[in-house]
Amino acid sequence: MDNKKLIKKITLMLAVSVGLALIVNYFSPVGIALIGQWDKSQGVITAKAKNDVIVGKLEIEDVKTAKQIYDIGKSLFVDARSRENYEDGHIPGAVSLPLGQFDELINAFIDKHSLDQPIVTYCSGRTCEDSHNLAQLLLDFGFNDVKVFIDGLPGWEAEDYPIE
Amino acid sequence: MNKLLKTVLANSWIEFAARWILGITFIYASYDKILAPADFAKIIYGYELFPHDFINLIAIILPFIELISGLALILGIYPRSAVLIINGMLLAFIIVLSVNLIRGHEFECGCFSVKKAGYLSSAEPMLIRDIIYLILGVQVFLFSGVRKGCLGRLS
Repeated sequence: MDNKKLIKKITLMLAVSVGLALIVNYFSPVGIALIGQWDKSQGVITAKAKNDVIVGKLEIEDVKTAKQIYDIGKSLFVDARSRENYEDGHIPGAVSLPLGQFDELINAFIDKHSLDQPIVTYCSGRTCEDSHNLAQLLLDFGFNDVKVFIDGLPGWEAEDYPIE
Repeated sequence: MNKLLKTVLANSWIEFAARWILGITFIYASYDKILAPADFAKIIYGYELFPHDFINLIAIILPFIELISGLALILGIYPRSAVLIINGMLLAFIIVLSVNLIRGHEFECGCFSVKKAGYLSSAEPMLIRDIIYLILGVQVFLFSGVRKGCLGRLS
């Protein structure tokens, strides 16, 4: 078989794949943006959904600001990581609400906390989107003051702030 | 040994089996990625080998190359071209896995979604698996006889 034909067929197949991929991504509800946010210095990394739920405004950009909010003592810190991670160590006073168990735990959470309770979510830092997704879910449930501490527990630990 | 190799390369049943194994594997592999491109993108990021601007494009396009070439192999549409694409992908996977294995790079984000995507499985078994697939792919590429179960003249 001559190579020209082979290359032609390969090009055709790749072109069909690329075309189909872009069309499906465009119409798919789980489609992502063509360029994501993968620079940690710009905040949490994410592929970015087309209808992006991650609201930059909610983000607490640095650890010191998070600590100030913590020291004021009005905000409830909510840990979005798994229960095991939470039990291994978390910000003192934080409550555990693992993103993966949101549906089963949210009713008990709402019974305990008023919708006006200021909330700060966190997870394992800037490679982790769970705290953003948790924040979005809490907003959807009617909580009206939700922030995301994007440096999460690793950032907290790096400043030698207390952990329990 | 040379004779054995020739027999294996010329055996149409081995070719048929190899084509179906590769086809089903690649279709199956594309499925999860197409359903969760954001998770797949994060896994690609985790390898820390790709320019940030290309991560999403890889995550969007690669699964469809896997799907189309996998389907083409099973249906017997341009099987030689399809297997060349698959061998190219396998070679790329082998290089990426080896590079990260050699430099001891591990990425663990501790996120629920990525854990679910099975990222934490170790690189060695994946590497061995991909090398076996590549051997199958080379057999399919080098096979010059009449291929079984191919779609008529298109083959």
